[in-house]
Amino acid sequence: MTFTSLDWIIVIVYLILSVAIGMIGRRYVGSVAHYLVAGRELGVFVGIATLAATEIGTITFMYNAELGYRYGFAPFIVALISGLVMVIIGRTGFVITRFRSMKLMTVPEFFERKYSLGLRLFTGVLVALGGILNMGVFLKIEGEFLTVISGINAKYLVTVMTVILLLEMLYTVVGGMVSIVITDFIQYVLLSTATILVSIFAVFHAGWHNILTKVAATMGEKGFSPIANPKFGLTFIIWQVLLWFSIHTCWQTTAMRMFSTKDPETSKKVMTWTGFIYLGRGMLPMLWGIAALATLGTGNNHDGVPMPVLNGHVLQPIDAMPAMLGSILGPGIKGLVVAGMLAATMSVNSSYLLGWSSVISQDIIMPARQVLGKVPLSSRSQILVNRLANLFVGLFLMFWGLYYTPPGAVYLYLNVTGTIFLAGAFVCVIGGLYWKRANVMGGYLAMFMGAVGVIVPFFFLHWNENVTGFTAFALAAFGLVFGSLLGSPWEKIIAESQTP
Amino acid sequence: MNYWMMFWTGALVIAGCSFAVITAIVSVFGYRDLMQMFRRLTAQGGKEKENE
Repeated sequence: MTFTSLDWIIVIVYLILSVAIGMIGRRYVGSVAHYLVAGRELGVFVGIATLAATEIGTITFMYNAELGYRYGFAPFIVALISGLVMVIIGRTGFVITRFRSMKLMTVPEFFERKYSLGLRLFTGVLVALGGILNMGVFLKIEGEFLTVISGINAKYLVTVMTVILLLEMLYTVVGGMVSIVITDFIQYVLLSTATILVSIFAVFHAGWHNILTKVAATMGEKGFSPIANPKFGLTFIIWQVLLWFSIHTCWQTTAMRMFSTKDPETSKKVMTWTGFIYLGRGMLPMLWGIAALATLGTGNNHDGVPMPVLNGHVLQPIDAMPAMLGSILGPGIKGLVVAGMLAATMSVNSSYLLGWSSVISQDIIMPARQVLGKVPLSSRSQILVNRLANLFVGLFLMFWGLYYTPPGAVYLYLNVTGTIFLAGAFVCVIGGLYWKRANVMGGYLAMFMGAVGVIVPFFFLHWNENVTGFTAFALAAFGLVFGSLLGSPWEKIIAESQTP
Repeated sequence: MNYWMMFWTGALVIAGCSFAVITAIVSVFGYRDLMQMFRRLTAQGGKEKENE
């Protein structure tokens, strides 16, 4: 299972090339719009590459494979919903075309245009907090993948992941979105090739018939039907539909790709075609997880599934997929696959670094300066602030991400933490774009109730993820409607009292 | 159960094929897009496009 010299050479050459190519972006950065949204010059094909590469990382492979291992084919519904929702948004232009027409650079910027500067600041804090904590678990999970598949000693994990993070930061800090787009393109090609290769290897190795038989024998109908599986069910499906609509429209890293396209029509095409990639993004890694169940699932039952066992060692379900890959891939192929996974890791992490740091600089620091009555910064100074914010996020991740372990299935944990701000943000965006009566009080109440609707039920009342997520969206919608209806007469009274 | 089994098998085939085909198309035409983006960014010459 250990890496050979050939595998190491492939991985190291890839890392050096990737960073060197990423540094090219620096020469094209002349303004803050170049730095954050690549001068709004993305075409359809490179737009698809950068959007797909941003949302397909080692973390994506790991949590989807874990879902496949634990719940069989039933979680395929998640991939289906995420892809179909993306195609619907792409075809209709729901939210994204209006966002693109407004020439935004961050999602919270919309809140100032529609609501108020204060709400932009409040939303910026929630988005940055939720986003960075969400990303905080990436490094550890990615590190686990590398450790298990390459067989390197776990004591070097922190060093390896720190080096990779520093390499990502190097070109992200210097070249911003332009560098990210260049590297994303290369990384997309590499990671997609690796994904296809691994899928073929996994099915060939485990055998399609064995895969179906194992799931049927272990889980019965629950392994195939998302309705029959108590972990999912109708509430879960409704929550996932709402969640994926909000992710595809309001998630900062996805939205930044839409803001970066040449025009609204291009953003629709990018979203539509990436929707088809999203089907594979979910289903293929889940298939790897199921193949791992079929080949390594021989341990004692835990939560209804046998624990994975390799060479007498009992592993966690999330480590089953990399363990299987480590045992079935030969020298050279393993190096290519790991380089592909590193490509995925770097493209996701660099985009997320830029995404969340841009919220800190554009939606927290800049509005705070405005509130304090300071003069606006020049474009050059804004780039500097963005770079410093980037460094801050990177350093935070280095210390937090490598030591924090998420509880339960990683996918559900990421969904729940994302919902903290997505429920309120999505409702506010819909209200702001499509409902004339939506106002500032409604906006504050929606953001507040959306966040409380996740934090209290999940962390204090210990409700399950499905009900928690569903409740958060319902509360956020109630907050917007109630606050807007209540706020209208108040705002009228305040306006009248201020009239001389 | 058989219905779901067939449904997910079909979905998996569609997902895998579309993933492979789109990857091939994007790999070829994405490079052209990238070159066009460089040309436009160079033409902008560091000016704020927002102010145009």
